Amino acid sequence: MKEEIEEVEDFEEDADVTREIVVPGEILTDDVKNLYPGRGAIFNKEKTKIISLSIGLKQVRKNYMNVIPLRGFYTPRAGDKILGVVVDKNPVKYKLDINAKDLGMLKPKNTIKKDKGRMGRGRSRQGDRNSYDEMSTARFDIGDVLIVKVLSADRLNSPELTIVGKYLGKKIGGSVISIGPHSIPRVIGRSGSMIKMLKKMTGCTIFVTQNGRIWLKGENIASERLLIEAINKIANEAHTVGLTDRIQEFLENEIKKRGLK
Amino acid sequence: MPLVIKDEYPEKLFREDGKRLDGRDKTELRPIKMEVGVINNADGSAYLEWGNNKVFAAVYGPREVHPHHLAKPDRGILRVFYRMTTFSVFERKRPAPGRREKEISMVIGDCLEPVLFLELYPGTSFEVFIEVIDADGGTRCASTTVAALALADAGIPMKSLVTSLAVGKIDGELVIDLSGIEDKAGEADLPCAITWYNDELSLLQFDGDMTLEEMNTSMDSAVEALKEIYEKQLTALKSKYIAIQEETLKQQESKTDGGEE
Repeated sequence: MKEEIEEVEDFEEDADVTREIVVPGEILTDDVKNLYPGRGAIFNKEKTKIISLSIGLKQVRKNYMNVIPLRGFYTPRAGDKILGVVVDKNPVKYKLDINAKDLGMLKPKNTIKKDKGRMGRGRSRQGDRNSYDEMSTARFDIGDVLIVKVLSADRLNSPELTIVGKYLGKKIGGSVISIGPHSIPRVIGRSGSMIKMLKKMTGCTIFVTQNGRIWLKGENIASERLLIEAINKIANEAHTVGLTDRIQEFLENEIKKRGLK
Repeated sequence: MPLVIKDEYPEKLFREDGKRLDGRDKTELRPIKMEVGVINNADGSAYLEWGNNKVFAAVYGPREVHPHHLAKPDRGILRVFYRMTTFSVFERKRPAPGRREKEISMVIGDCLEPVLFLELYPGTSFEVFIEVIDADGGTRCASTTVAALALADAGIPMKSLVTSLAVGKIDGELVIDLSGIEDKAGEADLPCAITWYNDELSLLQFDGDMTLEEMNTSMDSAVEALKEIYEKQLTALKSKYIAIQEETLKQQESKTDGGEE
């Protein structure tokens, strides 16, 4: 597996991010002529001030005043690649725990690649039987870890998922760890710098998903443990500067100390 | 032989030197200590020590509503569970939620609702569990203050924090922040809460005897004291992150110093 990271819109690594922590209701600016409230910010009632909506870091980008949240929950959006665990299944669908308010729905028709050549024109009995089997939910069991993509999601209904696509499907072995969904951009780093470094130094395979879960598999348990420690350190220090350098140094020291490689 | 302690109050609520029984001035708050992120398995949590009051708050959500008939198709709901432990008051409190606890839960819920964007989360619930470990007057105000902190810690979008305080009248004098004994033996008790994004009152209850002028004066002094508590709320929320920032900065500085040498 090569570059399997998701391109997450990278607010955090911008140069114009201040390291100023703001909390809900805090006034970000009085300058309402030049700035508009962007992500995580609103006008106050009289439209004389811009105030923050959540706990996070203040950022000015173009004409917008944003707040990059430090805490929060995952809300599924169409196109997200996420890690789900099968928690229930019936003959027509799987239900996946995706770390959101609703369970994700995975229908068998979204687990097979549509093969137009075989459909429609006179298929053999063999093909028929196979396609019938593929339309049942016998393929995965409860407890399986799947990388899925969100097909559609809204506020009211359960999101619909698919495993047809690049890098999607069942993951065998390895470990799954969970960090806050807002720390995910820092684990990836600017254009994937952090995750490349983590992979190189620990020799593990990592898959970072947008619902705050990370699947990882290493050559041995020691390197996996080191990687988990590093990721927890990243999540804990997500709002600080110079994180990549610090993590690199941490890994170098720990590899030396633990005698890995 | 059962221990019989008479339920009697002192005749005077002021000492001879003009201070209150616990040694405070008329417009002096009890010592307040706040902390966020104290419960690991909750989405957000906070702990508050206000004089002799000790209150925990935990927030979960957005999540499915149980029982399901409470869910609203157009908006989320906020459910508050205010509970007192059996040992929190002088005489053992029966653990079943009583009339008083249900009322206070409702009052706190109504007080916090205006700052949340419940319409963005239809069919879900946010749940706030408030557990009073130790009670000594003004627990509804302490609970409101700590619940707002826990909501902010959970990363739930809010217009602002909510701060609450009880003012009142004892022995004919207007005072702020009534303690348990002043609450029972005093003449008037006026709990109030403020939402900071529009400086509006979100909670106002009244019990006792007070003239209109006295009420206006006590409200003015309440706002002053509320600002003081609000500052403490902000510090409590930020300090967790600022401590990590400062620590990493210190590490980096010491490293660069060492490099130069």
